[in-house]
Amino acid sequence: MSEVILKVKNLNVELGKEKVLEDLSFDLEEKEILVILGPNGAGKSVLLRTLLGLHPFKGEIIWKRNVHIGYVPDDFDVPPDLPLNVKEFFYFKKTNSSQISAAFQWVGMKNPPDFLEKRLGTLSRGQLRRTVIAWVLVDKPSIILLDEPMVGIDIQGRESIYNSLVRVWQKQNQAIILVSHEIGEVVKKADKVLALNKKKLFYGKPEEIITPQNLAKIYGSAISL
Amino acid sequence: MEAQFLYSLITGIFIGGVAGYLGSLMITKRMALVGDALGHVALPGVTLALIYGFSVSLGAFPILILGIILIWLFEMRTKLPMEALTGIVFTASVAIAFLFLPEEKVSTALIGDISQVGAWDTLISAILCILAFLVLRKIFSKIILANLSENLAKVEHIKVERYNFIYLLCIAIVVALGIKVTGSLLMGALVITPAAAARNFARSFSQYSYGALLIGSICCVLGIFAFKFFALPAGPLVILVSTLIFLISLIFKKK
Repeated sequence: MSEVILKVKNLNVELGKEKVLEDLSFDLEEKEILVILGPNGAGKSVLLRTLLGLHPFKGEIIWKRNVHIGYVPDDFDVPPDLPLNVKEFFYFKKTNSSQISAAFQWVGMKNPPDFLEKRLGTLSRGQLRRTVIAWVLVDKPSIILLDEPMVGIDIQGRESIYNSLVRVWQKQNQAIILVSHEIGEVVKKADKVLALNKKKLFYGKPEEIITPQNLAKIYGSAISL
Repeated sequence: MEAQFLYSLITGIFIGGVAGYLGSLMITKRMALVGDALGHVALPGVTLALIYGFSVSLGAFPILILGIILIWLFEMRTKLPMEALTGIVFTASVAIAFLFLPEEKVSTALIGDISQVGAWDTLISAILCILAFLVLRKIFSKIILANLSENLAKVEHIKVERYNFIYLLCIAIVVALGIKVTGSLLMGALVITPAAAARNFARSFSQYSYGALLIGSICCVLGIFAFKFFALPAGPLVILVSTLIFLISLIFKKK
């Protein structure tokens, strides 16, 4: 039986005087993929950051002991003139070159040698996104939290990143929490879907949640797949 | 070569190097002018040191710490932008200093005088420079990661506030030492210009930060030699050499 890696009970978050999250409860087991859906301003990113201990909260967030968390933030901009190159960025973590090229393969990039010499600031949005994801994956966290990771990545890239994430991480007992706007291919592969608009709207298996009626409730108008 | 000149040279090499290295970090954090402002904040301490005849760095350091704490307290209390509060503290410091600064010491306070450093002063400066360099090297990657994404850094178990505090402390030490070479008025350039020049040459971050260290040291050596031969004040010469290197670096800047 798989172990519970994260348990959230009656979670409430206020930022300033505003209630951003109300009375959320859910849990996640090893190997599971949870997708968090919701419109802009629903509190998805706040939920991730709260889970990471970056916001004060009321309620309970219980992580498995000694859990190693990886986080792909939604804000990672590099000033174009910063001379930091990709290799130096990876050396911030204690990694070697075979680990680095493995991490790049996971995100669907196969030619790191000359890529490693490129400055972070000269990468395209999509390349930078993949680089950050590879950076987070490189020391093999036991759960990864990704906040809108596919923004700026082409459709082919999304497929390959998502497929490799699923493949590599489930093999190694890693769990994934993904915040996404997309309700296409991504959600179908999830074990659980949490639809959010400050409060929990729906929570369960994707095939139960993703119906036109529910989507209309989540996003406020009719949406078709 | 006479001993006094050698002391000046050694002091310059160490201080110029660590100031350049620190500068590469400060430019990255968009804090380049902080060095300049803190140079001014230190003036009351420099004034005391000049009146009572002890090391200007020793006088500058406690005043710098006091200034940084004041800026920090004001920020907690008012939430005004840091730069405005720094402006208030540094102009007040200059005003206080000029009430007491003896006229014949004005130039030493403002543009430095490295021709008078003694053996002990040289030794202590060198040791402090090495210590500041080692600490900065240790916290370098963490500060840069926090600068790219503070949340990411925190998730990677980096104590961002603690590292920022250590970083500020290093700035205070380096500014206090740099005042010895180039004085309150010109200290800022010792941090900014070599690092800015190195950035134009550099193709990676290590080339950038170590390039800044090297250029900082070279500027001090050339400036102090120029002072020896032209009998002009050393501080301005050091800064003008670094400006010249910056201008040369423009040729190498990759578009």
